[in-house]
Amino acid sequence: MRIRAPKDFWAGLIFIAIGGGFILLAQQYRLGDLHRMGPAMFPTLVGALLAGLGAVIALRAFLSDGERVPRFYARPIGLSLLAIVLFGIALQWLGLVAGVAVLVLVGAQASREVRPLETLALAAVMIVFSVGVFVWLLGLPLPLWLNS
Amino acid sequence: METLNNLAFGLGVALSWQNLLYCFIGCFLGTLVGVLPGIGPVATVAMLLPFTFGLEPAPALIMLAGIYYGAQYGGSTTAILVNIPGETSSVVTTLDGHQMARRGRAGPALGIAAIGSFIAGCIATLVVAYFAPPLAELALKFGPADYFSLMVFGLIASVVLARGSLLKAIAMVCFGILLGLIGTDVNSGVIRFAFGWPELGDGLGFVALAMAFFGITDVIFNLEHKEKQEVFTSRIGSVLPTAQDVRTCIGSIARGTALGAILGILPGGGALLASFAAYMVEKKVARPPRMFGQGDIRGVAAPESANNAGAQTSFIPMLTLGIPSNPTMALMIGALMIQGIAPGPQVMTERPGLFWGLIASMWIGNLMLLVLNLPLVGLWVKLLAVPTACCFPRSSCSAASAPTPSTTRSSTSTRSPCCRRSVMCCSSSTASRRRWCSASFWAQ
Repeated sequence: MRIRAPKDFWAGLIFIAIGGGFILLAQQYRLGDLHRMGPAMFPTLVGALLAGLGAVIALRAFLSDGERVPRFYARPIGLSLLAIVLFGIALQWLGLVAGVAVLVLVGAQASREVRPLETLALAAVMIVFSVGVFVWLLGLPLPLWLNS
Repeated sequence: METLNNLAFGLGVALSWQNLLYCFIGCFLGTLVGVLPGIGPVATVAMLLPFTFGLEPAPALIMLAGIYYGAQYGGSTTAILVNIPGETSSVVTTLDGHQMARRGRAGPALGIAAIGSFIAGCIATLVVAYFAPPLAELALKFGPADYFSLMVFGLIASVVLARGSLLKAIAMVCFGILLGLIGTDVNSGVIRFAFGWPELGDGLGFVALAMAFFGITDVIFNLEHKEKQEVFTSRIGSVLPTAQDVRTCIGSIARGTALGAILGILPGGGALLASFAAYMVEKKVARPPRMFGQGDIRGVAAPESANNAGAQTSFIPMLTLGIPSNPTMALMIGALMIQGIAPGPQVMTERPGLFWGLIASMWIGNLMLLVLNLPLVGLWVKLLAVPTACCFPRSSCSAASAPTPSTTRSSTSTRSPCCRRSVMCCSSSTASRRRWCSASFWAQ
């Protein structure tokens, strides 16, 4: 047996993982029965449906030819997500100014064509912009600095 | 008569300086993202959702709506001049529009696209004004069973109309429903899948989800996939079409408008489907069937009118039933929910200012867009030289300022846009389902 449609195969596996994950997580709640459904019932059913569909998609990958998996670009995905996570952490502990700086500096690395000076300038502009719009204009309760 | 009174009332709301300003901002941004390939109205609306927290409901919706139909104008500019559709809904415009540009008739092509869009926009506004209220009255009589059937219809439509694999579309619908289950179970009150975070008790933040699926994935995708563009800007010439052009096109514009207005109302429809269908019909109907694909001006007029009409009538199911017919409308529902307004038929009776103001603003917005697009087309053309890199960190910043800590967890980067669309529509419908359920729950 040879995988003829790798993209579908992996997509199927991802669906199985998501469906299975929801089923597993749902087991901590009461299942109930069809007459009186508990909180675990609906997630289990939909999760099973998703996992089943995933299995069909993965199995069909053996039967007909399909697309290859395109190159996985770890750098932009990883760095963009990392930048957002770091921003969330920095916003709580260090305040908005430091958070935006971290966000722009890390996020800019996701692109291949970074120029340090441009990035610094952008960080400065973004700090002024987000403080101006979010804090002053919209009045969102965000801490500006470390301990304010 | 009553409709006219209501429209006049709406005009009064829309003509306040604040709403005019936001209408202009929306139309301007819409044209901008329409012209720039690689960034669409959905991503833009998603990015701007956090900004609407501090706004009143009416200006927020007026601005977001402006982005959506503004993008339909802007998309044609890129399609005609660069042969790259700025928006998916202007894909068919490239067929004849770019050929016209090749033959030195870029000006009239741009002109007829803007004029056609304007006429279609005006008529579609009237359609919305006349059709939305009776539909909303009907929807007020809906019980849970009717809403359930509508939901199922919406989910099926999003599967049927998705491009690509049917199985994957259904799987993504399931995934969307699962994401919608995060939060408090309406039947038992148990908080599901929250991992001990009280913030997740209300479910996944809509803005976070929208940013993840439409904002961040687009940005990441564009980082690695460079589109090569050769800009065709040599000489645009006069944008005013000749009297002959107008005579040829008047029928195409009418057909495109009618078709777009009908298709826009259907779930899963909207601007994209409308433009394709209009081009097909035009190819069949037009006499003499001269030179489609080689620069026939009717091949520009019909789809451009249709996508604008479709963009506007797709507001009807959103405003009256609370059902998103496409991802942008799902985001609009999100904007309403941010403002604490449950989308549905009661919006019209409880917030007439918002409802009629939005409708009237569409007409004003179309007028603004005509002015923005005809004389200023040269300016937009210059923008095509802007590298996309400049737009990138800004978007992730506004992403991160969405006030939910769960932003990253939901960003499963699913590549195909149709799949993302199904997920978005589904999780938004499950979320609104929850709203209805909880409403009926409290009513008992």
